[in-house]
Amino acid sequence: MAKVLEGPGMDLLKKWGMEVPRHVVITSPDQFSHLANVNAWLRDQKLVVKAHEAIGSRMKLGLVKVGLDLAGAEKAAKEMLGKTVGGMTVGQVIISEMVQHEKEYYVAVKSVRDGAEILTAAVGGIEIESQWEKIQRLFVSVGSPPEPAALKKLAKSAGFPSEMVDPVAEFLGKLYECYDQEDGQYLEINPLTWRASDRQLVALDAVIMVDGDARFRHPDWNFTFASEFGRPYSNDERAIMEIDSRIKGSVKFIEIPGGDTALLPAGGGASVYYADAVVALGGKLANYSEYSGDPPDWAVEALTDKVCSLPGIKRIIVGGAIANFTNVKKTFAGIIGGFRRAKSEGKLEGVEIWVRRGGPYEKEGLAAMQALEKEGFNIHVYDRWTPLTDIIDMAIQGKRAS
Amino acid sequence: MSIVATKETRVVIQGGPAGQNAARRMAEFCHLIKQPFIVSAFVFPPDAGKTVELPYGSQLISVPVYKTIAEATTRHPEINTSLVYVGPDRAYAAALEALNDKKIQLVSMITEGVPEKDAKLLTKAAKERGKLFNGPSAIGIISAGECRLGVIGGSFDNLVLSKLYRPGSFGVVTKSGGLSNEIIWMASQFADGITTAIGIGGDGFPGSDYATYLDLFEKDQQTKAVVIVGEMGGDLEERAAEWYGQKKRRIKLIAVVSGFCAEVLPKGMKFGHAGAKEGAHGEGTARRKAELLRKAGAIVPETFGKLGPAIQQTYQELVRAGVIKAQEDVDAAALPKLPKTVDQAIKEGDVFVEPLVKTTITDDRGDEPLYVGYAASDLINKGYGIPHVIGLLWDKRLLSAQEAEIVKRILMLSADHGPCVSGALATIIGSSAGIPLSQSVAAGLLMIGPRFGGAVTDAGKYFSYAVKQRMTPEAFLEYMKANVGPVPGIGHRVKSVKNPDKRVKELVGYVKSLGIPTPHLDFALQVEKITTGKKENLILNVDGTMAAVLVDLGFPVDSLNGFFTLARTIGFIGHWIDQKQQGSRLIRLFDYLVNYAAPKRRDVPPLK
Repeated sequence: MAKVLEGPGMDLLKKWGMEVPRHVVITSPDQFSHLANVNAWLRDQKLVVKAHEAIGSRMKLGLVKVGLDLAGAEKAAKEMLGKTVGGMTVGQVIISEMVQHEKEYYVAVKSVRDGAEILTAAVGGIEIESQWEKIQRLFVSVGSPPEPAALKKLAKSAGFPSEMVDPVAEFLGKLYECYDQEDGQYLEINPLTWRASDRQLVALDAVIMVDGDARFRHPDWNFTFASEFGRPYSNDERAIMEIDSRIKGSVKFIEIPGGDTALLPAGGGASVYYADAVVALGGKLANYSEYSGDPPDWAVEALTDKVCSLPGIKRIIVGGAIANFTNVKKTFAGIIGGFRRAKSEGKLEGVEIWVRRGGPYEKEGLAAMQALEKEGFNIHVYDRWTPLTDIIDMAIQGKRAS
Repeated sequence: MSIVATKETRVVIQGGPAGQNAARRMAEFCHLIKQPFIVSAFVFPPDAGKTVELPYGSQLISVPVYKTIAEATTRHPEINTSLVYVGPDRAYAAALEALNDKKIQLVSMITEGVPEKDAKLLTKAAKERGKLFNGPSAIGIISAGECRLGVIGGSFDNLVLSKLYRPGSFGVVTKSGGLSNEIIWMASQFADGITTAIGIGGDGFPGSDYATYLDLFEKDQQTKAVVIVGEMGGDLEERAAEWYGQKKRRIKLIAVVSGFCAEVLPKGMKFGHAGAKEGAHGEGTARRKAELLRKAGAIVPETFGKLGPAIQQTYQELVRAGVIKAQEDVDAAALPKLPKTVDQAIKEGDVFVEPLVKTTITDDRGDEPLYVGYAASDLINKGYGIPHVIGLLWDKRLLSAQEAEIVKRILMLSADHGPCVSGALATIIGSSAGIPLSQSVAAGLLMIGPRFGGAVTDAGKYFSYAVKQRMTPEAFLEYMKANVGPVPGIGHRVKSVKNPDKRVKELVGYVKSLGIPTPHLDFALQVEKITTGKKENLILNVDGTMAAVLVDLGFPVDSLNGFFTLARTIGFIGHWIDQKQQGSRLIRLFDYLVNYAAPKRRDVPPLK
């Protein structure tokens, strides 16, 4: 799943025929007055200003301001841009019109096994949070778009008044079309509302998640995906994502501030068991990482660089199962290169390295790792005969291998 | 017995190099279990019509490549399975093509990064056709002693270590490819090994899942227990729990689930697998999955570390209950070995190979070439130059600075001699005819011979013979006249005593100024004195001078023509570039430059 920020997300809804509030995204306060000169609505309407970043709890952090006039909006945008919150800087601000409305509703399309679920409720906004049971669902099999009659029935069963059934059903049809055609995975509009001025259904706020793997068939997706864990990606995380996007195999890297145990394991599956083992023993993870699919050694080396640069780490876990086709010797050569550079930069002072691995060229790879001991690394190397996560027990509890 | 991948499975692989690599691994397995190779065909349009050669034991097997699945299954009606190894943008079309073929019953897709919608559509298509779709992102399927689909099982050594040459009693289903191998290994250490192991892939909605295969394992009498490796996200583990809890099942179920760490990590964090993500409202947590599996009667160790002992305990209980009969281990030494490559065998001291070529000058097997033992970079960094490289590669010695200077001057003096000489002209004609550089320069080099630039070696040979035999110049000329003919290195087409060759003067002057012993040069100059007395143009020419000087420096006679050839190559390349850049037109001789001395036109007599 890949999260799309509000600006490009709203543009996707609009592309598929749904009404959204007029909005502009700016990256510097200077742009604002120029935009106001040419867009009458910025002068005539009450405005909402929001930080256009993947930052959680924006309301609480003062990164959402509502009901502003032009001058107020300009001031709020100026204050937000460049503001640093929890180490992350606000680089973009979205300004949208405030839509006068009364009732709020809820609509969503969610990817499920074999197809999708269309969800709707005649209540929306914050009210829906306490009334999930009011949501009515319609399963749609993949490749078979919903019949208008089924959508009308859904709207009716959700309790929409009769004059709204047709427009809501039509809106749901558009939302499904958008989901289906844009490789959506989760589209949620909350609140959906009835715009007083022109009696149109308008999407006031939306969560838009699309399938990042489908990017190849959407040349108009000119946006980057936002993080989904309440903060924007760091530069190191972006650097590894960029490498990941252009290599055979994969490398992944997410920082977790404050941890002392760094992960550098192989395999999307095994890496999570390593993370679990660390957490189960009360260890604190400094990151989540993995490499898999026989990535080139330089990519593994770049990942190693980032792992070694994590502040305050006491140990690095170079774990992995018995590989099917990842060349242990070559990928370890990348890790060793990264370790050597980090050490020459004084980064691995007092850091223990724990290794466990098997797979093609395991003997050569493990021997090369073991040889690092002679270069002054504090390294502990185990092969397939030591169970997968035993190195975590040894590293954190000081238990020796039985 | 086994499920899905059996002795009857015959395969078409869709895709290029990655698929070929998988086929190679599959051939290794077939060799290990002494079964015929099961890959009948490849479908890869860019290579359609060709064959792919794969090692099978010490043989090579040719597997044909087709453009379409239909062609492959028509030509090889035994095919019933397709493995998809094409990129994510074409994977859907490829898999659908396979599902649409009547003969194919199983499609397994290794491709990662396939859009979720495509996977769902393929799952639906498979269901509608009553077929099995495994994947995407699925490492493959292996049945011990029977069939390997994909690279699952890893390297040949691992196949043997994990006892995959004979069936055990445990089924394995995992999302992760690496962990499938790990569990196979554990099942062979803590129990009697596996029947079938299946990687279903880590995507959100794989085509078939734990429940699909548990149902099949339940029907396979050889399988007594199944290990599933789950992870947070989605509901596949919940579905497995539901299946297991529905009624009394014959098979034991052992399950581990990962993702407990998510409880303390930032919400919304993504792990390595696309499907490993918690739902928006707390569905799919590791804890809930583990609880549901436990409630359904599965054995669920708290951590991965406790999985090995859990497998062992289950195995021992099943043996005690008489459900599993402990089998005697096969003597691994009696199993077929993967033939070594010649490289490996030499490394391990198993064979001796008589070398075909011997070299005494160079070795590039390390990280850079060594010239007679000296690393090229060392030579550069210590101030040596091209003449020293020539000294090393042509005479296996490091020249002194003085010798190098002489060699350098020889090269500089003979680098070019204008466009009219036969060699340069040949190169120019080539360049003007649009012939590429190396061929045009080679045309010029072909002109080097007894009449142009190629007399250096012969001149050196006779001068050094004369000096060695202590001949007088007169006796030498007598000898040459009687036995050889014109003296190589003496005489010039245009230069003469009155019109001396400046290059010769320059070289002789410089060498003499150094005050080093030059017996061959001195002898050649004495010879010249006599020959020019007879005819003005019988001067010591540049070939002869180079020859005498180089022999004085100690270069072997065999190397001498090399100096001219090397030097003049610089000129030829220059001429080629010059003509090319001018865009010269094709050169054709004018009729007036030809003396047409052939018979005039006449009647052709009738053929007899």
